[in-house]
Amino acid sequence: MKLNNKILLSNLVLSVVIFLITSIGMYYLVNDTVYDELDNHLLQHKIDLMNQVEGDPASVKQIQKLGGLGSYEWVDMYPYEGEVKLNVNNFATVDTVRNPGEVGPEAYRRLATTISVNDRYYTVKIYEEVAAWQNISMTILVSVLAALLIWILLLYLLNQMVFDRILTPFYDTVDNLETISDPTDFDERFSDSSTYEIKVLNDALNTMMSQLRSSFEDQKKFIQNASHELLTPLSIIRQKAEKILSNSDKCDQPTLKAASEIQHTAVRLSRLSNALLLISRVENKQYELDEQVNVAAVTDDVLEELDDFISLKNITIEKDFENEIAVEGNKELIQSAIYNIVQNAVKFSPEKSTLHIRTNGEAEDGEFMVIDEGPGIPEELKESLFDRFKKGQGSSAELAQNNGTGLGLSLVKSICKLHGFGYRAENNNGAGAKITLHF
Amino acid sequence: MRALVVEDEPLLNEELEEHLLEEQFSVDCAETLQQGRNLVAGDEYDLVLLDLGLPDGNGLELLKMIKKYYEETAVVILTARGEVEDKVEGLELGSDDYLAKPFAMAELRARIHAVLRRRFKIDENEIKAGKLLLNLNHMEVGYDGRRLELTETEYKILRYLLLNKNKTITRIALAEHIWGSKVDDRFSLDFINSHMKNLRKKLSQAGAPELIETIYGVGYKLEVHEAQQ
Repeated sequence: MKLNNKILLSNLVLSVVIFLITSIGMYYLVNDTVYDELDNHLLQHKIDLMNQVEGDPASVKQIQKLGGLGSYEWVDMYPYEGEVKLNVNNFATVDTVRNPGEVGPEAYRRLATTISVNDRYYTVKIYEEVAAWQNISMTILVSVLAALLIWILLLYLLNQMVFDRILTPFYDTVDNLETISDPTDFDERFSDSSTYEIKVLNDALNTMMSQLRSSFEDQKKFIQNASHELLTPLSIIRQKAEKILSNSDKCDQPTLKAASEIQHTAVRLSRLSNALLLISRVENKQYELDEQVNVAAVTDDVLEELDDFISLKNITIEKDFENEIAVEGNKELIQSAIYNIVQNAVKFSPEKSTLHIRTNGEAEDGEFMVIDEGPGIPEELKESLFDRFKKGQGSSAELAQNNGTGLGLSLVKSICKLHGFGYRAENNNGAGAKITLHF
Repeated sequence: MRALVVEDEPLLNEELEEHLLEEQFSVDCAETLQQGRNLVAGDEYDLVLLDLGLPDGNGLELLKMIKKYYEETAVVILTARGEVEDKVEGLELGSDDYLAKPFAMAELRARIHAVLRRRFKIDENEIKAGKLLLNLNHMEVGYDGRRLELTETEYKILRYLLLNKNKTITRIALAEHIWGSKVDDRFSLDFINSHMKNLRKKLSQAGAPELIETIYGVGYKLEVHEAQQ
């Protein structure tokens, strides 16, 4: 759940709870006020009644007679029978029927008390209809609560707007973070904000990003420089060794062997350095990827380059190109990837075996497969086949020996990653390895 | 012939100089772009070996200057920067060839030979070693008047050995010459052996004596004695 939704929701829940409590409180308050007012009225009636009977004791009869008929005041007056305490005002709300013709009982506020006329006590019950008052009170209650409810809704909407506004920089940052896949891809800075927390957050992110970026860049630059700087001295080592070798008749066998090993090592070292340079350049995205590359044509080029090895090993190439697959990318790199895969397959293919090269699917969703009949991929290498310097570690000494730099497939991996291709290596039903590129 | 070596690494510079002297060039050396400029301003060279990563600038600057004044000069770029753009730019600016470091001297010799032949239209289309005759234009090889049927790879091996006669050619250098440096070395060396076996068979069938000597654990040498030439 998003942060602003969480805040808004908790606000809303809180508001509703407060609203309910307020409603109940209001209800009691209003009712209380209404009954107080009614009681005041009833008391006033009583005083009026007392004044009247004091001035004219004869009017008691009249009151008794008329009391029940009055449209508004309903007074019951009869001689005291001890049902209420003397000189005490008893208020109560009763549901009763005033006229026999009425449909149902109505709520009345009743004042039961006693008054004395000429030393005779009378019980007086004065009724006043509650309904009219309650209508007013309910109207007030409802309108106040409605106003409150509207206010809560309005507050919710307003809050939403305001939160959205206040949290915009925060969400910008979050959106940015979601889209970053590679720190070197992300050039812009997280923007400044007037909100303290967001400012702190963005500053921290900026610092971290730039550190990440620069260490990333440093690492790449280091690999490149190292490769460059290594190649010249390696060149000298190689040439000096070859100089000894070229005058072979002047040296004895052990010297020649040593010189040959020096040369061989220098060559391997320079290959390694070149491969690292290439991988780092690929990872550094120094290549344009806007060429249309025909996979079949590139494969043909590669097969021609490797023809010598294929024919000397008597390997039969079985090509099965279902569709013309053209992908967008860098021709040199794609050729290099296919070259490495095919070379690997040729290397591990036994003599007189068959090498299947296949494509499947359409251009958008094509697959390129190389299947050999070699020993397959050892179980312990399956996970790390495409990783740098992982090949042949430990048990498979023979594999390592045949490997050259061991960077061939990790170059394939870098190239595939750069182009967004999938790559997969598996054993083909127990016989041979199968390398698949998914364009 | 006059040659100029522009290379900032003294040991390599020395090596190249020695090598060119051996090839009967008269050689000047420069270790910086400025030295190179001064030398080029003073003299016309037939061949320039040019390193691109010089301490005081890009060797391509010197290439531009050379090509501006002396169109005839053959330039071979030597660089540790394996970047394709450099290669393309160098060739566009008029360099004749491009060698990535580290290279084998034998390879440089073969390249220089090809470059000079192309640039100066040398009619010497044939390389001779005793009765062995290799025609560079038609990719043909003959021994004592009989033509040998060689594959392209075998022809390349023989040509390379002939261009570097009396020198031991290591198998790595040979493999690099034929397949480039992309191919795995351990892998390709076995193939050199089988190609060499086939080549020897064809040579002996043509009646040639053991021309190619195997230097055990190192490589091969095509020995041509002065008396035979």
